[in-house]
Amino acid sequence: MKCDPKLIDKVCDYLGGDLNSEPCQIIKEHMEKCHNCEIFIDKIKKTVEIYQKAESCDCVPENVTRNLFLKLNLCEPKNSERSQ
Amino acid sequence: MEIGPEQETQIVRKAQTGDRVALSQLVSIYTNRIYHLALRLTGNEQDAEDVLQETFLIMIKKIKQFQMKSSFYTWLYRIAVNVGLRRLKTKPFKYQHVSIDDPDIERISSMEAQEWPVIDYDRISKKKFRKKLDSAIEQLPEIYRTVFILRDLHELSTEDTAKILNITPSNAKIRLMRARNFLKDHLENLVKAEAMI
Repeated sequence: MKCDPKLIDKVCDYLGGDLNSEPCQIIKEHMEKCHNCEIFIDKIKKTVEIYQKAESCDCVPENVTRNLFLKLNLCEPKNSERSQ
Repeated sequence: MEIGPEQETQIVRKAQTGDRVALSQLVSIYTNRIYHLALRLTGNEQDAEDVLQETFLIMIKKIKQFQMKSSFYTWLYRIAVNVGLRRLKTKPFKYQHVSIDDPDIERISSMEAQEWPVIDYDRISKKKFRKKLDSAIEQLPEIYRTVFILRDLHELSTEDTAKILNITPSNAKIRLMRARNFLKDHLENLVKAEAMI
């Protein structure tokens, strides 16, 4: 099937919004009927997921943190006093 | 290090009086987030470190002017984004201009879409694949890149992202949609070329 042009704005709005939120009813109904749109939206979700996963693998190098506190002339808090 | 908003407000108030321990705590709380924001924005570790240091130097200098009208992190992120964008302006753009389009829903609806197989997350952490992901972000013009980093990598709300970038929430949504679509296309090519997912 072809997408209803009136729906395109709503699909685009959804694509720029919170992908983890429950899709608005109109998009949900559309995706049930339009397999290609469903796949397209799923790929966008997976893309975001892959980038988020890659980002979570990273840590700040220790020397970067050390240099930062030296530059700021501050003492790096010990674990016990970080949030006190 | 995760703390609640009330606890953070207390630390910010102390820091505004010049309390060095409170300043250290704020730096410690936000080092990871600001470093990764800077790294994705500038695309290299040396620039990211410089942006990190400059951001916190400005924070320390200006924290007394912070009026608690917005959340502290939106204020700090705005400083970091501005420092990062200023730094980018001093560098030649590594990639040729790329066209960032809206998704063509008409085309999508009429073509035969092929699903991606299950994602192999172990491969994502591999250096070679990671480099390709990073290079796609670097190819995004900065107005799209900033929105993608803040909304999808740092998981800020549309409203906070818009405030930080001084744009409207609907503009933030349009930019995000285009950025996601561009990265999706890039990843799709990667999938086809290397069958990595």
